[in-house]
Amino acid sequence: MKHELFPWLILFLPLLSATVIALFTLRSKTISSLISIGAVVAGFVLTVLFISANGFHVNAETSKNWLSIGAETSKNWSSTDGITGLQVDFGLKLDALSLMMLLIVTGVGGLIHIYSYAYMDEDDSKARFFAFLSLFTFSMLGIVLSNNFLQMFIFWELVGVSSYLLIGFWYGKPSAGDAAKKAFITNRLGDFGFLLGILTIWGVLGSLNFGELQSIFAAHSATLLSAGVITIAGLLIFCGAVGKSAQFPLHVWLADAMEGPTPVSALIHAATMVAAGVYMLCRVFFLLNADALHVIAYIGGFTALLAALIAVQQNDIKRIIAYSTLSQLGYMVMAVGLNGQTAAMFHLTTHAFFKALLFLAAGSVILGMHHEQDIWHMGNLRKKMPITFITFLIGALALSGIPPFSGFYSKDSIFAQCLEQKNYLLFGVAALVAGLTAFYTFRLFFVVFFGKEKSDHAKHAHESSLVITVPLVVLAVFAAIGGFIGVVNYYGSQFTPDHETLTFVQQLMEPLKTPVPMCIGIAVALIGIFLAFSIYKNADTDPLPAKLGVLSTAMKNRFYFDEIYEATFIRAHDTIAAICGAIDRFLLEGFIIGIIRGGTDLSGRGLRLLQTGNLQTYAFLFVLGVALVLYFVLGK
Amino acid sequence: MSILTYIAGWPLLAALLLVFISGKNRVIIRAIAVLATFISMVLAIKMFCQFAAAPVDADGYRFVQQIPWVESLGISYHVGVDGLNVGLILMGAIVAFAATLCSWEIQKREKEFYILLLVMSGGILGAFASLDLFFFYFLHELALVPTFIMIGVWGRGEKKNYATFQITLYLSIGALIALIGLIALYLQSGADTFDIPKIIAYAKAKPLATNVQNFIFPLLLFGFGILVSLWPFHSWAPLGYGVAPAPTAMLHAGVLKKFGIYGLIRIALPLMPVAAQSWMQIIAWLAIGNILYVGWVAMRQKDLNLLIGNSSVAHMGFIFLGIASLNLIGISGAVMIMVAHGFLAALTFALSGYIYQKTNTLEISELGGLCRRLPFIGTVLLMAAMAGCGLPGFANFVGEATVFFGAWAQPSLHWAVVLAVWGALVIGAVYMTRAIRNILHGPLPEKFATLPDASNLWRKLPYALLLVSLLIFGFVPKLLTEKINPDAAKIVAVSSPVVKTSAVALAEIHTPKSEIRN
Repeated sequence: MKHELFPWLILFLPLLSATVIALFTLRSKTISSLISIGAVVAGFVLTVLFISANGFHVNAETSKNWLSIGAETSKNWSSTDGITGLQVDFGLKLDALSLMMLLIVTGVGGLIHIYSYAYMDEDDSKARFFAFLSLFTFSMLGIVLSNNFLQMFIFWELVGVSSYLLIGFWYGKPSAGDAAKKAFITNRLGDFGFLLGILTIWGVLGSLNFGELQSIFAAHSATLLSAGVITIAGLLIFCGAVGKSAQFPLHVWLADAMEGPTPVSALIHAATMVAAGVYMLCRVFFLLNADALHVIAYIGGFTALLAALIAVQQNDIKRIIAYSTLSQLGYMVMAVGLNGQTAAMFHLTTHAFFKALLFLAAGSVILGMHHEQDIWHMGNLRKKMPITFITFLIGALALSGIPPFSGFYSKDSIFAQCLEQKNYLLFGVAALVAGLTAFYTFRLFFVVFFGKEKSDHAKHAHESSLVITVPLVVLAVFAAIGGFIGVVNYYGSQFTPDHETLTFVQQLMEPLKTPVPMCIGIAVALIGIFLAFSIYKNADTDPLPAKLGVLSTAMKNRFYFDEIYEATFIRAHDTIAAICGAIDRFLLEGFIIGIIRGGTDLSGRGLRLLQTGNLQTYAFLFVLGVALVLYFVLGK
Repeated sequence: MSILTYIAGWPLLAALLLVFISGKNRVIIRAIAVLATFISMVLAIKMFCQFAAAPVDADGYRFVQQIPWVESLGISYHVGVDGLNVGLILMGAIVAFAATLCSWEIQKREKEFYILLLVMSGGILGAFASLDLFFFYFLHELALVPTFIMIGVWGRGEKKNYATFQITLYLSIGALIALIGLIALYLQSGADTFDIPKIIAYAKAKPLATNVQNFIFPLLLFGFGILVSLWPFHSWAPLGYGVAPAPTAMLHAGVLKKFGIYGLIRIALPLMPVAAQSWMQIIAWLAIGNILYVGWVAMRQKDLNLLIGNSSVAHMGFIFLGIASLNLIGISGAVMIMVAHGFLAALTFALSGYIYQKTNTLEISELGGLCRRLPFIGTVLLMAAMAGCGLPGFANFVGEATVFFGAWAQPSLHWAVVLAVWGALVIGAVYMTRAIRNILHGPLPEKFATLPDASNLWRKLPYALLLVSLLIFGFVPKLLTEKINPDAAKIVAVSSPVVKTSAVALAEIHTPKSEIRN
């Protein structure tokens, strides 16, 4: 392996950047942002250099021991002696999966960093913003490169806290503070399962290293994969993905996370962090058995449908895209559950392009609209913001799955995977969701870019500066061509050993191999777009609520999940806390103090009896004491 | 003379010196106190760095010094360090220096305050270094008594007297029960010495009878346990820290409190392995009491200091869980948390002290938006809160994670680990982020529009010092674990015969690890 140092540099440059900004350059907006941008762009260049020198299939690990307690080798799990040591490495795992993710995180991340330079220009805390952004990049790269479970968990938590900091970036706003708190706690609920899953795996197999675990599983797949404890471990680990990738039932935080600045939504809550759950499932796919995968597939499918339904009746431009993110993540998770890691990672990659694009374009709209986010106050922006309009259109077409845009290819591979696994129910769900996706995306598109200007801001909207539009154009190019530039080859060869490398033309024609899902996919997308066109082409208000009635209200209120959780789990937990608080206050404190006080009082009364005032008694006791001391000092 | 004598000696000597200086020379008094604790800290850092290279005596201790005192009773001045107390002494000395620096806030009777603070610092450092039961106990008492006086005289708030009363009562009783246990141990061991290494060596050859162990172990468990705010004997702690002046709370919650656990690990486990084994489940229950119950109580607090106090009590549960696991991983984790929590508790109390000094309130509902006016203090508080809910990067995470792994290696404690992880990841996150939301985030109340931040380097130093310590051990835990492991292994070797586990579902697989690696 050449350039062995590069991966370490890629990982630690952003941390260095965050530290330098926090300690020295917080006063200078420009220097801080340039340091942060420099770190991630350097990471991208180093990644490209590393890949061009070594290719995608390095399949190497470099690691250093980080924590070592007890026995050198991990548990010899055929013996019955129990586990006697804990070995944790700090290591980097380099294979096609992690290298592709490196490209996404540093590439898409780099573009978003550059975009932020202009987007956050007026903010007084721009330096702090870039410090957080660098911290996030470091944590995300850490997840991608981890070679063992505990290290991944460490970076998993760090990603959680960076997301917390960035959502709450405008902490003066109560809603931002609340959203940050909610995101953090919800993620922690998922991490609770994740950590227990890690402990379970370690307790059974005695190792945390992915490579070692994988070879154990390879050698004993039959015994291990049928064991109940492995099912439990797999589901617990999946909890981590449920939290981070915002799957049902922990999906509630992602929409609120839109309180953060728009580049954050693009980077963290669309392209990278929320994808970490899917990435993690692919990384540890070897330990998921059929039962666990079954649950994963249905959770994913359900989330995809739920989020798509909610998205139909949202009016905040960022929230619509956020729910669409949820829905697409549901697709990816479902694909993993259907044994389609290649399809899942393929969709993750194209989604990173077009969803980052959509968010950044939405950010451009928001800037042009002077921070107005309600789509019903926009309208007719296509002429005033031409570049944003074109790039948004490309993103929307990719998201809806229209050929030849990237989303079409990746979504098609997921559809094909459903059929290959003969899961017609999930295929139906996937097709329905695809139709809904096209519908709500183009609802947004028509309302924002067509029709009349619905407010004064819309009349005075203006195109954004070059620093903003250039990243849009670059992302648009990838959102358009991402489906046939080889992405699928790198993943395919990682997950399926007998994968043949497809040529450019083969990639272009790949969907034709399975014409049924392709035709259905294109048909539902076109129907969705057509419906959106006919309803929203010139609409000033949303006609759907009148037609759908209660359903629309439920969709608008996100099916009341927040309220249900508030009334049940949160209230129950708070009640327990209140009971403990009351016990602590009145019972324990009063009771124990009472006993001690009463006891002291009693013994005081008892001892008073000894105070006879009789000199002879005192003298006797005194001599007795002296005798005792003498006995101990001299007698023994 | 051993470097340990100097580490504990300088603060005590400075206290003595202060007695002869007039209370009017405020600057000189403060300078002497700061200087003494600074020297003590530098020496402790030096000792920590030289630990690996230092010569080891027959019992496995380094930097040893022994001067016989009352030979007929077997009492001697005997100090030394091994992996169990090296981190504690380093942490104690750093916290003592930080606490002295943070004593800006004391306005009245400064001389007396500094004398007591120095006695407290020197006493507890000496207690940790002592390898003689007599000095071990005596020096702890020497450090404990000033706590009560400081809370009583310099404390704040309406509940001051009640809190002083409660903390004095609890801690005196705890210390008394532990004393009874220690005397019983002295009488029963038959070694006729107060020398800890000798007693342990003696007990190794001639273990205490099981019924004796079963009688003495609970005395030490609950005696020491009360000193560490073991559930349900914890209510003194939040209340006491709530009213204590910040430097006292820093030293007590950070350093003094660890004495009880240190005593359990140093004395109770190696001498009474059989009893420890049979008390394992009960300790785990009590630990969960600390983690869950007190965690929930912390969720209900409306006063920042009470919240921090309860959270600090909750963290003790992780240490007890580590002890309950009775294996190398768990005990190492417990020692790790002792050190990490010392830094963290001191840091949080120092921060709340600063906020109280500037805003004159710690009612969470009255605060808000402070990050705007206090970027430095706010950032450090945020990081401390994150460290408190177990964020990786800080030393606490390493300790807690290690304890979870250690306890998980005991199948009979799986239930406790599940609950403890819930306490660490969820309950901790809930009360910490709620506090952050209400104190640092949101709009800034009008009356705080002119709050001053910790501006110069000198004022920032104590916070930075404690934070950096947390980060160093969080990033490079090996600095500590490599020192802890060999000595924790010795304790485990005595106290737990290897607990047999069986990988139930996988019993039929029999392949040696080495083959798999290929």
